[in-house]
Amino acid sequence: MEREWRPVVPHRLARRLGARLRVRAVDLDGLELTVRGPDRVVDVLFDGRRIWSFWVVRDTHGQFGLRRRVAWPDRMLRFLDGRSRVEIVEHVTGVRLFEREVAFTDADRRVAFRNPRGLEISLDKSGRFSPTFSGRGDQVASLLDAMEEVVAALAELGVTAFPAWGTLLGAVREQGLLGHDSDADLAYLSSYQVPVDVARESFRLQRALNARGFSTYRYSGAAFRIQVTESDGATRGLDLFAAFFDHDRLYVMGEVGADYRREWLWPLSTCRIADREFAAPARPEKLLEASYGLGWRVPDPAFKFTTPRDVTRRLDAWFRGTAPHRADWERALAGRPRLRTGPSALARLVHSEVPAGVTVLDIGVGHGRDAWWWARQGRAVIGYDYVPRAAATALQQAEEAGHPLTLRSLNLTELRSVLGEGAWISRRPGPRVVVARHLLDATTATGRDHLARFASMALRRGGRLYADFALETPTDAAGSRAGLDADEVASLLEEHGGRVLSTATVADGDTAGPVARLTAEWR
Amino acid sequence: MNPMPSSRRVRDLEERVAQLESEIAELRRHHLRVAELADVMTELVLPLADRDPDRVERAIAAFNASL
Repeated sequence: MEREWRPVVPHRLARRLGARLRVRAVDLDGLELTVRGPDRVVDVLFDGRRIWSFWVVRDTHGQFGLRRRVAWPDRMLRFLDGRSRVEIVEHVTGVRLFEREVAFTDADRRVAFRNPRGLEISLDKSGRFSPTFSGRGDQVASLLDAMEEVVAALAELGVTAFPAWGTLLGAVREQGLLGHDSDADLAYLSSYQVPVDVARESFRLQRALNARGFSTYRYSGAAFRIQVTESDGATRGLDLFAAFFDHDRLYVMGEVGADYRREWLWPLSTCRIADREFAAPARPEKLLEASYGLGWRVPDPAFKFTTPRDVTRRLDAWFRGTAPHRADWERALAGRPRLRTGPSALARLVHSEVPAGVTVLDIGVGHGRDAWWWARQGRAVIGYDYVPRAAATALQQAEEAGHPLTLRSLNLTELRSVLGEGAWISRRPGPRVVVARHLLDATTATGRDHLARFASMALRRGGRLYADFALETPTDAAGSRAGLDADEVASLLEEHGGRVLSTATVADGDTAGPVARLTAEWR
Repeated sequence: MNPMPSSRRVRDLEERVAQLESEIAELRRHHLRVAELADVMTELVLPLADRDPDRVERAIAAFNASL
């Protein structure tokens, strides 16, 4: 793949002067290098273990002359406490450019990159910390077991899955798994040619795998993750991507759209990963070329996709938008929940206005601070979220104390989830109230429309909706929070059969800027 | 001969391209919508036509568990 980043010194000149790559300094601020010649990828090792990789030109900033600087990735900073033996190694040649004991702080400890479960982690190519395969032979075996299990289950459904993306790359280039990768990818060639059918087939496969006891997680209309729990308790994902031909163009979710010959894919051949055999495209190198460009043979743990815009636009419109901002919310909600900080003002209002015995449906429950509080007041609460595990602590505490809190999954940006859960809740007996605190301003226009639909289904036999939302776009909020027009929200609810009882502007202790508080009623 | 000055024509064409792009995106988005609706129809609405309430409950639970 042609790179858009140019070397500081033209290659021809560098050949005459001699290519040079020197590490000048490593400290808490980052690394300083001298770079001449072509761009290269280097690995950064802490106490002998690779944590991060970067391109010496692409990912650094020029200072003066040949000097370049790069700061540590933000996510690494919190780990840089104490000392470590830091090595900088050229990834392809293995040449060691730097090796020194570095004290990042005065603390008398070794820098340790471990997750809360104590597992060793490193940055993968998407810049996230995750347990990596390197040096974990038993883990490699259990991941390969999981791959075989999923491949077998798919074969029973008439689908031949083969390693794709980094997993295919590892198989072809190293007959193994890439050490810097953190998950395994599978793809299958859809028997359909039209996106609507490709999406329906993907739904069918997910449904069938769920019925076989796999836990899954949908990314888009053409890709979902199959969660596999390994022997050490770590959860790893096998991502399953649809590939399909539109005439002579092959699309592979989520980055490939290229002119492609059928005989390059079909009939399938085989590839090896460690001691296992998997199916592979007839000419895997052609798929790798379409996935990673002509440079795929050269290892690049810091690879960045440069997908053509028209391909991204097609895949976005055909398949994406079913879980916007979910990854951001998973990160934002990953920390320890603070339940005992007291309820929100809206939670108190709802509790004071709504008679006892009315169930609260808390949509966008998050950590469950309000839900837990209502449940402690003896109110039945159903907490809904598309990141439901964030409220697991609240649920556990409520269950231990015998408080009536339930968690259910609801994805407002996936129509099937809204209609399925709407059908379920509409059949539950008893009065209820729907609460959406800072939800309308956190989701998309589709999500807002679906919230109104869900409320109309949940409150079919009558009941109220309470909603707080920001009127101005805050500058520091998580996700994509955007200020809304209160009149537009009111019209939306009325389109779905609601009657707006009141709208007011309030100051919310948790949110900067004015907040609208709206109540609507279905009768 | 087009009497419009070329800068204005370029601007008009740029606007037209942007409109066409958004119209195409609108059409493409129907694929997923139709897929979802077809799925809801076959997997949720049809089972709801059953008169046995227990079977309806089971069908809803199975649909929600399949997402």
